[in-house]
Amino acid sequence: MNKRRVTALGSATLDMIEALGRAGMFLFQASVGLPTRSGFHLWLRQMHFIGVMSLAIVLVSGLFIGMVLGLQGYTILVDFGAEDALGQMVALSLLRELAPVVAALLFAGRAGSALTAEIGLMKATEQLTSMEMIGVDPLRRVVAPRLWAGFVSLPLLTIGFSVVGIWGGYLVGVEWLGVFEGSYWSNMQGSVDFIEDIGNGLVKSLVFALVVTWIAVFQGYDLIPTSEGISRATTRTVVYSSLAVLGLDFVLTTLMFGEL
Amino acid sequence: MMNDPQFVEVEGVHFSRGEKEIFRGVDLQIPRGKITAIMGPSGSGKTTLLKLIGGQLYPDAGRVRIDGHDVHRLPRRELFRLRRRMGMLFQSGALFSDLSVFENVAFPLRVHTDLPEAMVRDVVLMKLEAVGLRGARNLMPSELSGGMLRRVALARAVALDPELILYDEPFVGQDPISMGVLVELIKKVNQALGLTAVVVSHDIKETLSIADYVYVISDGRVMAHGTPANLDVDRDPRVSQFIHGEPDGPVPFHYPAPDYYSDILDERVGR
Amino acid sequence: MKRSKMMEFGVGLFMLAGILGLVFLGLRVSGLGSGVASDTFTLQADFANIGGLKPRSRVTMAGVQIGQVTAVELEKEWFDARVTMELDAELEGELSRDTTAAILTSGLLGEQYVGLTVGGDPETLKDGDTIHDTQQALVLEELIQQFVSNMVND
Repeated sequence: MNKRRVTALGSATLDMIEALGRAGMFLFQASVGLPTRSGFHLWLRQMHFIGVMSLAIVLVSGLFIGMVLGLQGYTILVDFGAEDALGQMVALSLLRELAPVVAALLFAGRAGSALTAEIGLMKATEQLTSMEMIGVDPLRRVVAPRLWAGFVSLPLLTIGFSVVGIWGGYLVGVEWLGVFEGSYWSNMQGSVDFIEDIGNGLVKSLVFALVVTWIAVFQGYDLIPTSEGISRATTRTVVYSSLAVLGLDFVLTTLMFGEL
Repeated sequence: MMNDPQFVEVEGVHFSRGEKEIFRGVDLQIPRGKITAIMGPSGSGKTTLLKLIGGQLYPDAGRVRIDGHDVHRLPRRELFRLRRRMGMLFQSGALFSDLSVFENVAFPLRVHTDLPEAMVRDVVLMKLEAVGLRGARNLMPSELSGGMLRRVALARAVALDPELILYDEPFVGQDPISMGVLVELIKKVNQALGLTAVVVSHDIKETLSIADYVYVISDGRVMAHGTPANLDVDRDPRVSQFIHGEPDGPVPFHYPAPDYYSDILDERVGR
Repeated sequence: MKRSKMMEFGVGLFMLAGILGLVFLGLRVSGLGSGVASDTFTLQADFANIGGLKPRSRVTMAGVQIGQVTAVELEKEWFDARVTMELDAELEGELSRDTTAAILTSGLLGEQYVGLTVGGDPETLKDGDTIHDTQQALVLEELIQQFVSNMVND
């Protein structure tokens, strides 16, 4: 009985390592290769599908989160008579943590799952195989543009999230609760460092972009081509990428802001 | 080598998926310029065989040669070059769902040639005319019926004038009219272009009507082969069961199960 | 073809908006360039203790921001903290030589900044000059310590 359990554990570990290896080779094969003119058009189309189409949900979420931060921050800071520091609090929490993480989670739900389902459907309807038979590598033609589009889109979405969130904090803090406008901005400018805060936030979102898109396209490419397989893979995309984003966020935060 | 009468040779191919053995030594010879049918019951791995020929799957043992090239020993680039000489018609059509009918047929031309746009247009319209769908060029694949999908896919498969064309279950799920259209088209395309065709199917009547030579696969082996006329009078009970579509025979109607009577009794006792 | 032009336009707008957003974050949120863009002149001041003063802290006069701290380093002769500030160029030649600099705290827990107060000397400060009359930061622990030792002495 025990022996069987050990065997099962061992084979599960081997399977996991093998899947990781497949995913790594997949990423390598899809991302190498020179950009071409037709590749640019495919990329553009995916930028529209992945980036522009996710814009609305990301911006609306950013606005609400900024407004909530403004409200919560005010009620806490006002007890210390430090409501002037509201701008600093809103900006730092958005730039360092909330914008990269929440935008990545929304991105995984909105664009990641759609990518998995789309590629999975192409696999199920033999479009990928037929592409291979025509002599076109689907990794180049289907996967690479999506990978690059995701990699570029998410940082842009994250910037949008921060900007709208800071504006949302301003709306609630300054316009509604009456924090002095000058101190909202000057306190923010005094404490936010371009490289340290904005730069590190962007580095985070680049890492998340790579991981989420990679998981999404790999799950689509590697799934079992049935309707059940597609729905499972879509779920896996959202679950794995959310966990990866949150876990990596901790690691990156430790590396970037740990010694402060 | 070029004048070898066999265009495709499959020698002693073994293939298994997981625990399941699909082929246990299959030998096939597919003659140049003829239509060869590979038949067998569902689940006998016919599609797998096409994928082995197309170099998408690798056999555990044995080899596949196309025009003298060992498909599975070719480097990736050579393999893609060889595939340019092949066309494949998939069971579902496998048209690219984000491209229009026109762009689907133009796809192989755009990828592999540097033809000017006007030439691409001429070739695409010519191929679409041959399958009778020139008028549907601006439709998207989602707007086509199953039979039309397959005809567009056929136009795409022959867009580059391949030497070998592989048909995967071309007749499955078609109404009698589009079935007849497809049979005619396959025959016509083959005569007009003089290409080598492999048809994988279990639609006996239609397949026998167009095939020059037939292989019957069952249990991972070639069970019988010959011209349609030979097979029709084959005495082997397994062949005759398949060719004449009898429900029960050496290929049993029942999935292997314990004795019916004792199975029912068992359940009663068990509860 | 028209649809694909629309799409290209949309993607272009998206990327442009992203870049503008980054510019907004840089200028308005992190205050890049707010001190650098206009003309400035430099003053220095040595403090016995600067508390939590950092580069890019504000420099004010009568509560109005007139510049920012650009560098904080240890001065090796007296082991004081040497603070370098960039001030609005309009004020060059306007501040008297006996101007005092104090390190102040905004609110109880707020950031620390430098506050300047002019004196009455007719001579004025020029680029690169040093303010001699300084008042160090209020360090809460020291205050408490003084208070406690006074109590004990009494």
